[in-house]
Amino acid sequence: MNAASTWTTAELQAIILARELADGEVGIVGTASDVQVAACNLARAMHAPSLSWVSGPLGTVNADAGALLPTADARLIRHAEAVVDLSVMIDVIDWRPGFFDFAILGAMQVDRHGNLNTVVIGDHARPKVRGPGVIGTSPLAAFAKHFFVLLARHDRQNLVERVDFISAVGHYRGGSSRASELGLETEGPRLVVTPLAVLDFHPVTRSMQLRSVHPGVSVAEVVARTGFVLDVPPDVATTPPPTVRELAVLRRCVDRTGILRRGRSDTRSQRLGDRPARPMSAGTTHTRTKPCRT
Amino acid sequence: MEDGATVGLGGWIFYNTPMALVRALARAGRRDLTLVPAPGSIGPDLLIGAGSVSRVFCVFITFEHLGFAPNFRRRSESGALQVLEMDGPGLAAGLRAAADGLPYVPIFDVGTDLPRVNPEWYRPLPAVDGRRLLAVPPIRLDVVLVHAQQADEYGNAQLLGGAFFDPLLAMAARRVVVSVDRLVPTRTIRRVPERTKLPSYLVTAVVECPRGAHPTGSHTLYDPDEGHLRAYVEAGTRPDAYEKYLDRYVRVGEERYRELVRRGARRARTGCEGDER
Repeated sequence: MNAASTWTTAELQAIILARELADGEVGIVGTASDVQVAACNLARAMHAPSLSWVSGPLGTVNADAGALLPTADARLIRHAEAVVDLSVMIDVIDWRPGFFDFAILGAMQVDRHGNLNTVVIGDHARPKVRGPGVIGTSPLAAFAKHFFVLLARHDRQNLVERVDFISAVGHYRGGSSRASELGLETEGPRLVVTPLAVLDFHPVTRSMQLRSVHPGVSVAEVVARTGFVLDVPPDVATTPPPTVRELAVLRRCVDRTGILRRGRSDTRSQRLGDRPARPMSAGTTHTRTKPCRT
Repeated sequence: MEDGATVGLGGWIFYNTPMALVRALARAGRRDLTLVPAPGSIGPDLLIGAGSVSRVFCVFITFEHLGFAPNFRRRSESGALQVLEMDGPGLAAGLRAAADGLPYVPIFDVGTDLPRVNPEWYRPLPAVDGRRLLAVPPIRLDVVLVHAQQADEYGNAQLLGGAFFDPLLAMAARRVVVSVDRLVPTRTIRRVPERTKLPSYLVTAVVECPRGAHPTGSHTLYDPDEGHLRAYVEAGTRPDAYEKYLDRYVRVGEERYRELVRRGARRARTGCEGDER
């Protein structure tokens, strides 16, 4: 496959994640999740047409507006296959083990064993940094068959030896502790995708190790910007760059308004493009997305 | 509403937050509230910043790509605000226990630090079939504030987009107060009864507040006002600037607030640079 010439970090991350999603899987995406939504819709367009993804806040299934919208925006309803109210969805988000095949979760801190923290930096009673909170990440990390960690930064502050607060459990204390001490039978974190590299976990120690560095990034840079001693196998690959086709499908069918091209500073009005908010009522002719051609 | 009440807040982060009711509550100078917000941004943060809240059940309070919730952050870090740390299962179980009249609802213990920092709401239960369990006692709400797009004179309130946690919050509350962008005749409600997520038998009072969710969006009617939210986050990081925000947008009353917002929208539309500040 031909490699494309330029892309943004967000586009590369979406493409890396899309490659990891398999046909027929059921996944869930939280709030503020442009890269995650792009990964799911790209996978559906490329190789996983029967993958299903659910918007956590809205309960829409396979919402695909051809452009990235916030996962709590009501416009998604017009581009979805189903809408299941949150008060029903919480049964499978918050309780039932093994319902979802995958989740894609972010964090303020991730540690060597893939435990996540979105709560506090420092002591909980008097934190140095007060983060947003846990929401549904805790049961999804425990009970999705596996999960991915997506980070918008890669530095010594967010990749740490030990998280200050476990808000969602990864491989816990390493080794088999996730299963033996917590009784969790699911796989846990599979990959960590950062702006610099893709990391996975050693099969025995369950410590994070470098799987590949993104094009143009050196192994030394990744090691230097990681806050714990990263396992570096002798044969670290370069992350396969986006192919021409992957980027074309991403830009023409999934992210037509270029949210991932602009990075995170986009305004909501740019994001919403030319579709104004419109009341929905019985009898409204719902617009259908035009078939995408690449 | 009395000082010390337990108050639920509906909506989701930047959508369907009952902001006109939140501003009214801040103006009324209520104190010592226990807040139980659905995942939120300016809704919980404004009440916390106005000094109305002594305890908050936190499941998720954030301005997403615009930054941390400034008042929530400052008052948590200084220790002035008691944070009852929750996750999705904890909040859902506590609300269900209240809604169902149960002494607790069980959830799985999934290995987080939540039971350590919030032992009152995450109580150990005997394991069953090797699964570790926790009991969450009822989170009973004295009143819940929610925003719907429309309601009729009987209080049949319709959510024209997502419902989020609103129906569950309403079931867990003694009183349910709904702000709506518009009052409509019952025949309009009857055209799409499946949108009546809060039927009249659940609703205590309806308050007609056009654009009452602003600066959050109201599903299908208007989008979040990102400019306003951005300015709020900036003001909230400095106590003096935040006082000015409260003077300008909250203490002036809802009529004046709407006028300011209309003027701001006109300015944004015409691209005129003039700022009445």
